[in-house]
Order: sequence, then C-alpha cells, then structure tokens
Amino acid sequence: MHRIYVHPLPVRIWHWINAVACVLLVLTGVQIRYVGLVDAVPFRIAVVVHNWIGFVLIANFFVWFFFYLFSDKIKVYHPELNPIKYYRGNLRQALYYGYGIFKGAPNPHHVSVYRKFNPLQSMTYQLIMLLLLPIQCFTGVLLWDLTRFSGTVAFFGGVRVVDTVHVLIFTVFVFYILFHAYLGTLGRTPTEKFKAMFDGFEEVEEGESADKAE
Amino acid sequence: MAVLGPEGGPREADENTETPVTKPSSGGRMGHGPFAMRTIGAAAAAVVLALAGMTASASAAGPSEADAQCLGCHGAQGLEKQLASGEALSLQIPGDAFAQSVHSVIGCTGCHTDIDPSKHPPAENSISGKRAFSIAMVQVCKNCHSDEFEQWGKSVHAALIREGDPGAPICTGCHSPHAVMKGASEAMDTVPCKTCHGDIFTAYAESVHGVARSHGQTQAPLCFGCHGAHGVNVPSAGAGMKDVCLRCHTGALAAHRKWLPNAELHFDVVSCPACHAPKAERRVDLILYDSTAQKEVSEPAGVPEFESRTGSASATRPGLDATTLWTLLKTLNRPGVGDKTSLKGRLEVRTGVEAHELAGKSAAISDCKTCHRAGAQAFQSVTISVAGPAGIPVRYGASEKVLSSAFSIESIGGFYAIGGTRITFLDVLFVLALFGGIALPIGHVTLRWGFKRYLNRKPHEPRKG
Repeated sequence: MHRIYVHPLPVRIWHWINAVACVLLVLTGVQIRYVGLVDAVPFRIAVVVHNWIGFVLIANFFVWFFFYLFSDKIKVYHPELNPIKYYRGNLRQALYYGYGIFKGAPNPHHVSVYRKFNPLQSMTYQLIMLLLLPIQCFTGVLLWDLTRFSGTVAFFGGVRVVDTVHVLIFTVFVFYILFHAYLGTLGRTPTEKFKAMFDGFEEVEEGESADKAE
Repeated sequence: MAVLGPEGGPREADENTETPVTKPSSGGRMGHGPFAMRTIGAAAAAVVLALAGMTASASAAGPSEADAQCLGCHGAQGLEKQLASGEALSLQIPGDAFAQSVHSVIGCTGCHTDIDPSKHPPAENSISGKRAFSIAMVQVCKNCHSDEFEQWGKSVHAALIREGDPGAPICTGCHSPHAVMKGASEAMDTVPCKTCHGDIFTAYAESVHGVARSHGQTQAPLCFGCHGAHGVNVPSAGAGMKDVCLRCHTGALAAHRKWLPNAELHFDVVSCPACHAPKAERRVDLILYDSTAQKEVSEPAGVPEFESRTGSASATRPGLDATTLWTLLKTLNRPGVGDKTSLKGRLEVRTGVEAHELAGKSAAISDCKTCHRAGAQAFQSVTISVAGPAGIPVRYGASEKVLSSAFSIESIGGFYAIGGTRITFLDVLFVLALFGGIALPIGHVTLRWGFKRYLNRKPHEPRKG
C-alpha cells in the first residue's frame, strides 16, 4: 500500500464548500417550498439565506471551473470517447456495485492521479458539473430577481417553467447528495474516502494505479 | 357569463339627479315643447356670458328677475308632465338650491337656450323618455365643460352608455342639474359616487382613507382622488390601481424592498388591496393576453365554443380544468395564428367592496405564509378573464386545481407562487427522490451485510444430506 495525492487543496476546498452549500440549499429550498409542512425558519429568512448561499455556490463553481481549466488535472474529467470502452467500463462498475461488492470482489477501478473517478463517477460528475449545476445556478439567478430578468424568464416560457426546471434538478440533487454520501462509505473502510477528501491522499495497492495500468 | 360592474357593484342611477328639468325662458306656462338639442354657436355663448354677468349679483340675494319668471311656474310643487314613454318628468325646480348653485350666475337660459318663450310650453311633447332626454342634454354641459366632457367620453361610464347600459351615469347622474354646489364632490356626505356605489363607499368610509378623511385630513383621498372625477377607468382591468396608489405612496416600493424579496414582482402581480385589505378574500385572475399586440384579448378569437367550455364564474360550476385550459391555449395559438396568446396571472381581491377595505400599514399582511403555503386561501378561487365591453373584464370560472397541475407548466407559465401553487407532480418526484436516496443505501447495506454473513457462515455450515 502506498499513498498518492489525488485531491489538490483547491479541489478539496471547493468540494466541501460545495457540499455544505448544496445541503443548505436543499434544506432552505425544502423550507421555502414546503412552508406549513416545515416551519424550521421563517419563509423570508429561508429565501434570503437561500439566495446568499446560492451566490456562494456560484462563486465556488468558478473555483472548480478555473482550477481544472488551468490545470492538467482536467484529465480526470476527460470523457471516454471510445463507446465500447465507455459502456464496458460503466457496465463493469455497475456490476461491481450491484453484485460484485456483495461477494467481496475487488473494485474494478484503480484510483490514480489522472484517473481518480471510476466510469460511473466520471459520467455522473460530468453530468452534474457541466449540465445540472450550471442550469440550477442559472435558473436560481433568474428566480432571485424575476423582474430584472423578466425578458429571459419570458423567453423560457415564464416563471413556472423556470421554477419547474429548478425544482426538478433540486429533486435530482436530493437523491444525489444522499446516494453520493453513501457511495463515499464504500472504500476499503467506511471513512477512507471521507479522510481522502480532507487530506487529499488515497491509499492504493502497489501496482494498482490506473495511470500505470494505462 | 358573468359581467361584473367596474366595482363589482350595481350601476343604478338616481332618477332624480339624472333628470334635468327644462324651464320656459319667459312667461309662466308649463313646457311641453321639443327638447331636441341644438349646437350653441358663438353668438349664443356670448349671450350666456352676458347673462352670467347680469345675474351674478342677483344670485347672491335670490333668483334674477328672468329666472324668477321661470320659477313662477317651475317652482310649483308637483309640477310634472307625462312623457311618451309613460314616465312622469318632474318639472319642479328647487329655487333656493338653484340660487345657491354654481350655475345660478348663468341663469335658466344659460343652459336652456332652445326654449322659445313665444312657444313655451310647446303644443307637442317630443321627449321620448327621461333617459334619452338626459343623454341629449349632455351636449349642453359640453358647451362650457369641454375638457371634462372629453375625459368623461373616455371613461367607463361613457363606454357603458355606448353599450346601452341604462344605469350608467351621464353629467346629471352625478351633478344634480339645478343644484350643482361647489365642492360637493370633495365632501364625504355629498360625494355623488355613493349614489350608485353605496356599498363600496361604506367600505371606503371605514377604511384608513375614509377615517382619515372624516377626521379632516384632506390629503386622504376621496373617490375622485384615486379614480378621477370624469375619466373614471375600470379599476380591475390590467395592472389595476397600483400606479394610482404609488402617486401618493411614493416611497412604497423602496420600503417594500427592505423586507420583501422580489418586491417589484409582487408589485406587478399582486394588487395592493390583496395585502392591504387583510380581511378581504383573494383570488387569482388569469388574464388572456395577446403577447404580440401587448394587450388583453377582447374575445377568444377563433374559439367560439369558449363560453360553453368554460362556464360561468359561479360557485356551483367548477369552471374549466387544467387540461381544457391547456387545450384552449393550444387552440388559440394554433399554427397560422399570428398573435401569441398567453395567460397573465394576477392576485387580487374578489370584489370592489373588498378593494376599498384598506387598513393601516400595521394591519397589512406581511406574513409570507399567508400565500406561500399549500392550501392558501388566495389560490382557492381562480378566474379567466378577457376584456369585455367597455373595458370591463369578463370573468370565467376555473378550477383552483389549474394552479397545481403539470398541464399548467406551459399554459400558466407566467404565474407561480412558491409553495402556494406548487405542482403536485413535482412533489411526488421529490418524495420518490428522498425515499430512494434513503432506501437504496439502506437496501444496499442490508444486502452487503446479508451476503457477508452468508459468506462468512458458509464454511462452518455444510449442507445437510
């Protein structure tokens, strides 16, 4: 076993700010949407806090965006362009989570500095970071000041359409946050992946690195 | 189909105030002559002004000599004549009231220029009815009050007359023809609007505006302060009275911005009384709007079955549902139709009476939960409105479920209140996501635990047999 540094400091800072912000946005979002059913904080306070955290999330998104844009670590987000490799990798990883893990089979993915995501992670993170999160931020900004952005809101079909998109992605994030946290416990130990997101180091078997394997 | 009055109230005119009485220009005979209107020329106007000068001094003490001649007959109690319509037209003039009125300076002949003293009263009675006579006599007022007449011509009152409304007020409907007193419209006990809009005036009198006015605070508006004196428009049309409120309450938007998220949007979509008349019941009005022409749709063009589809806005009929509304919008925006029709939503109070029940600032609704929660009263009543005759909205009933249906995402795209009108389908998805996000890990952990237990036990528990 040896330790490799796979999560640079900016990525860790971004990740935890993103995680806390997303959780708070979900909680305040639930408060805003389900007033009467949930009455933890007043509606107006929930709206104001939701707005502020939303802007923190947007600023934080650019920390992630610019770090990877100007770093060779962007390779971790490079999509697999070979369709056979793409589907085979995803299928193998899905079979591991859906069956192999129960039998104690080894994880088919081997973490490395430039291939730290397994195929399913890679696909999911691309979808979230490059599609869902930007759309969520965009619709959130529109809803923050509907009068200022009335023309754009009307272009997309009105406030109800914009809000529906915002709520649909919120629903996806609710599931994602819960499931993502659970998948984080599926390392060699339940806390291994969490520790890695704090100190940046992952432990890998000798000769296991995906970079070397490539 | 329910056509509401501009204030939601009846439009009935006071017969006595609407029926001017003609007087003979000289002599003491009763008038039965023709009352067809004639345009007054410059010469006649000069005569009127000259008479005004002559009679000005006399009015202070009593009627002029000429007017006294008229009043010789027309001062008699119970003087009246039968019209062709069968109505009785009172010809009695209250001499004292006329002497004190603003018109006493021009005297009887100032207005009744068509009276020929030598033929008065005429042998033939050409007045078909009181209403027709009153409308015809409006032209006399116009001769001096042309600006007011022009404003009135653009008002909902004039529009209603053009639509044939028998109760819509003309000049004499508000201004008692022979007793026009200066300042009458500025005092609560003499303001003419309450003659027809009595229930609304009662609500006003008990409102923050009415109470302040009754305590002598003249900066508090009376009817005309908000609605104008002659150019009265339909208060419930378009953006309502918001701009009128902001004329006096200039700092209102800035004050709301300090605590109200999306304050501008609230100002655009929520009528002022919806919050500032806290006891009022609210409703959502979805206005059929021509986005291309930037105006309200006057009728659902190309959809003749609109009325039969939607039914009237009544408590006994549920009105149209979300799928019908969706279909209606699709029909209105079918291929080939140039104009784009959409629905503009607006939260307002249900009646004109409630719109006047304005409370003080401290009593206004400021708890967001009042509207932004499921089942809020504000979203239990929904109407679809189009611009009807005289600009008065014609409302059709709709089911309150249109506000929470997935079909409305497109058809009512422009109106949405977080929490209050949330779409049920999205709630179901949220519950599924929450349940899945918790149940799947629990299921996965359970399977891992079960497999681990099974695999660990397997070597120690060989199969029997």
